[in-house]
Amino acid sequence: MSMQSPRVLPQHLANFQQNAAKTPHTVRILGTVSELQGETAKVACGTHGEVTIILTPDDHLQMGKLVEVVGKVVNVEGGQLGLRVLGTSDWGNPADCDYKIWENLVDATHRIKTIFYDAPAN
Amino acid sequence: MDSGYGNNYNPYASQTGGGGFMAGETSSPSGGGKFGGGDNKTLRPVTVKQIIDATCPYPEAPFQVDGADVANVVFVAQVRNISKQSTNITYKVDDSTGDVEVKKWVDSATADTMDMDDPNGIHTKGYVRVLGAIKSFGNRRYIGAHSIRPVTEINEFLCSMLDAAAVHLFFTRGPSGDGAGVAASASGFSAMTDYGGPEAHNRALHNMSPFAKDIYQLLRTEPQDDTGLHMQTIGTKLGIPNMDVARAGEELLNAGVIFSTLDESTWAILDY
Repeated sequence: MSMQSPRVLPQHLANFQQNAAKTPHTVRILGTVSELQGETAKVACGTHGEVTIILTPDDHLQMGKLVEVVGKVVNVEGGQLGLRVLGTSDWGNPADCDYKIWENLVDATHRIKTIFYDAPAN
Repeated sequence: MDSGYGNNYNPYASQTGGGGFMAGETSSPSGGGKFGGGDNKTLRPVTVKQIIDATCPYPEAPFQVDGADVANVVFVAQVRNISKQSTNITYKVDDSTGDVEVKKWVDSATADTMDMDDPNGIHTKGYVRVLGAIKSFGNRRYIGAHSIRPVTEINEFLCSMLDAAAVHLFFTRGPSGDGAGVAASASGFSAMTDYGGPEAHNRALHNMSPFAKDIYQLLRTEPQDDTGLHMQTIGTKLGIPNMDVARAGEELLNAGVIFSTLDESTWAILDY
């Protein structure tokens, strides 16, 4: 069983909650680590706001680095949606990444679902 | 044109007294077989999910993605696991759309030289660009890698997925809407399904200029005898300059979807 994790922006998280029908609820976000607080961290996703992530003991994030976070969509403090981390990849300096490419890829991912993830046709 | 090729050929033979033009040369299965693969050297950017979803119409057939044969694929993915064996290195990779095994055979003669992948360059959790062919062994599908190298820049990784999306759209919806595409849709047949000809023709037409598509469409729909239409007639009917008709006709001739009948500038659709 392969695991699929569509790329999303913070505003898409609601569509991938546990109770949302048949879509994967593991997703990927890309952003800059903006806050580290023990077991949680915040990731700033370009101009799309921040997402709170719940870390595992194995994650070693560094402030100011660009990270891709794979995680399950969960409720976090304050009634917001965040991610329970399954894995992170460090991509170094955020200045080396063109966030527009990510935005376009997120757009393509959901417009052309068939080549990215299994979801009910609608 | 619903008549068989043989009927097309007869009037031509009687008018020229037979000779140089052999029916078998253009209508033989091997001629049509060009579209089927064999000399297919395409390199297609894909997602792993497309590899998993690729179809194999019959045993030993080339794999197909979006109905088009794929010889080689290229994609970027994250390495999940590396297992080294005496004859090959197997990488388990994952690009977020699925995971697949990639086998890189070790060439014992060059194993010690730079030809072999630098074991330090590729590591678990690192990202790699894989170029290879889809293979299957039993029920397991894997990638026989020609080349595998590390990717360190996120832009390259993300763009490779956009490449896959763009090529997927090209095969499923036709060429992108640049100037030429708009012109084609303005004249009413941008959608590939409108051509209705043999599937192989449709695939060949994907790459062609709008004029070539117009000419194909005209040849298909215009009432005509078995010898087809002269290029001047085509030019007049479509309102295209003769130069452009000749150039577009050349495209169609080279692709083998039309053939010349009475003389070099009279064409009919090659149905087979």
